[in-house]
Amino acid sequence: MAATVDLTEVRTTGPSDVMEGRRVMRLYLATGLTVAVLLMLAGLVMRMAQAGWLGLDPAFFYSLLTLHGSGMITALVLCGMGGVWYLTRRETPMSARLALWSYGLIVAGVALVVLATMLGRFAATWTFLYPLTFVNPTWPNWATGAFLIGMVLITVGWMLWCIQILEAVLRRYGGFRGALGWDLVFHPKAFKESGREPPPPQMLAATVTSFNGLFAASAATLIGVPLVAHWLDPAIVIDALWAKNVTYFFGHQFANLIIYMLVALVYVGLPRYTDRKWKTSTVLVLGWWGTMTFILLNYSHHLYLDFVQPGPVQLLGVMASYLSAIPVAVVTVYGGLMLVWRSGMRWALGSIFMYAGLTGWILGGVGALLDAAIPFNVVFHNTLWVPAHFHGYLLGASFLFALGWVFLMLEERSRSHTSLATRWLVSGTVLGGIALFLMSFYAAGAAGVPRRYAVEPEPGPILAGWGSVGAIVLIVGLLFALGEGVRLWRAGRVTVPVERQPGVAVEGT
Amino acid sequence: MSLQGNILLIYGILVVLVLAVVVTIARSSVGAPVDYARVQTRAYALRRTWFWFLLGAVILAFVVTIQFLPYGAAEASGEATRYTVIARQYSFGGLPEVIPLGVTVVFEVTATDVNHGFAVYDPKGNLEGQVQAMPGYDNHLELTFDERGLYEVRCLEYCGINHHNMRASFEVR
Repeated sequence: MAATVDLTEVRTTGPSDVMEGRRVMRLYLATGLTVAVLLMLAGLVMRMAQAGWLGLDPAFFYSLLTLHGSGMITALVLCGMGGVWYLTRRETPMSARLALWSYGLIVAGVALVVLATMLGRFAATWTFLYPLTFVNPTWPNWATGAFLIGMVLITVGWMLWCIQILEAVLRRYGGFRGALGWDLVFHPKAFKESGREPPPPQMLAATVTSFNGLFAASAATLIGVPLVAHWLDPAIVIDALWAKNVTYFFGHQFANLIIYMLVALVYVGLPRYTDRKWKTSTVLVLGWWGTMTFILLNYSHHLYLDFVQPGPVQLLGVMASYLSAIPVAVVTVYGGLMLVWRSGMRWALGSIFMYAGLTGWILGGVGALLDAAIPFNVVFHNTLWVPAHFHGYLLGASFLFALGWVFLMLEERSRSHTSLATRWLVSGTVLGGIALFLMSFYAAGAAGVPRRYAVEPEPGPILAGWGSVGAIVLIVGLLFALGEGVRLWRAGRVTVPVERQPGVAVEGT
Repeated sequence: MSLQGNILLIYGILVVLVLAVVVTIARSSVGAPVDYARVQTRAYALRRTWFWFLLGAVILAFVVTIQFLPYGAAEASGEATRYTVIARQYSFGGLPEVIPLGVTVVFEVTATDVNHGFAVYDPKGNLEGQVQAMPGYDNHLELTFDERGLYEVRCLEYCGINHHNMRASFEVR
């Protein structure tokens, strides 16, 4: 079965490659997490403005909202890209230079988005639904161009990463048949007798996210080219319904893939705390096949309230949305809980964040499923119920997975341990802050408070106040976490045991 | 309680159940570890049940869901009073001042500039129903108002920097 990954070991390359691989991963993670935390501050400013605690010009509010959305998605994508790239490179040689090109293109794209929103006051939100970008804009033409070109650069960087990862896993496991565990499912006896190993769970995540990522990138190109063409020549007209379908096919998948990339880190990280193996089984393979299919189809729940959308597409959206919960609930999260059950797990900050992230995934998913039912969507669509559930699995799961991975690395290299009091302090503030922040969104959504409102109707402001308090507690918790992280870093490096030295393969953890 | 209130309550109950499970599992992990093979044998059996339960729940939810789709109702309402609503930055045109109590109405909603939302809130502030307003397309929303009072219409699809001020109202009597 799956060989368990040792963080300090690379099978096919030498120690200098290990360091190079780690440097690339750290660059991605450090950039992604830094941008994410900065944009949390932007989010706090917006919630405080909605609470009436500070005055914010609505035009600036919507520019900040556009930056927050596009920047946060990209920041978490960067975290996932860095993590999956590192884990893939442990399995097979990959060019660090190419990974740096992806990184550079995305960072350049983000810089243009910052320029467009903060200097140009571009404010069409990160979904920039056609034709909003071009109709009576309150921002200069160059800001539209900068934003669109920025998104193109992000897409190209993403596409490059998808191609690199997909090429690597297909090369390593002998095409899609090997990378997707086909023979394990359909010829289990022959597969076992051949002595072959299926890809470890994190490589199934790499295959599926890079494969589906190419579909998302293709859709981005499909909508991006006409948008740029329209920007250059307004006589070129695009059908609004078609544009909305393609935009959400791209946007939903791009955002959805974040958690499926970052769970690769949990597949590797959680076993290190439980001393149990997370193996690739037939069920796990089938789960990933399901994920691969359902996230290609469920985007259309964004268009439930476009009654002119063909009925079968709506029903497909409902079924795919519901079914996408099964691989998560039956395979990945269930597998994580199984791993923890009576394991004698070492509860450190890394494991706390990962475990809490699995919980957040389920809780955010339940909120999303309720919204995915059309009769409920009629009263929840574009209310604050929507950011409630997507913050549930982006902040309450994906961000925590990345944070957990960072602490895993710090804890494994450090001579020191985090005290019980510090663990309670950090996890209590971070998780408590997230919970309060999310509750304010859910309550406001149920009260019908619209999303994306600079000035909210009642009871929006009072609930925005709760959300602001939650965000402040979260940010204070992250400062505690930063302090503990720095302390662990300074506590010095543990001598790497011989069985974990580079180049020594280990069947461990 | 409103539909939204009931859903929030259901969500709250599910949150408590999920937290109870994850806290129980977390607590079980403190102490001496148990052989994982033993755990797997039992957990795999439980997983089979869990899978069939969830699949059944998904199918049931789907079957129930499709009984309450809002599509086509407006076209089937031959006797309904119809209003053509034209959304534009940042107003709704074509809305009547008064709508009779208990009469089925169909809002034929479109937009002339960008995508908008057309959401109707009852006098208590509950969201009654909504539909998208899209340039080049007509979306038909059927509603029947059983309560007297002032209803508010809001745009729920971000449409520009004055989006939060795009609203209108009508009275039901």
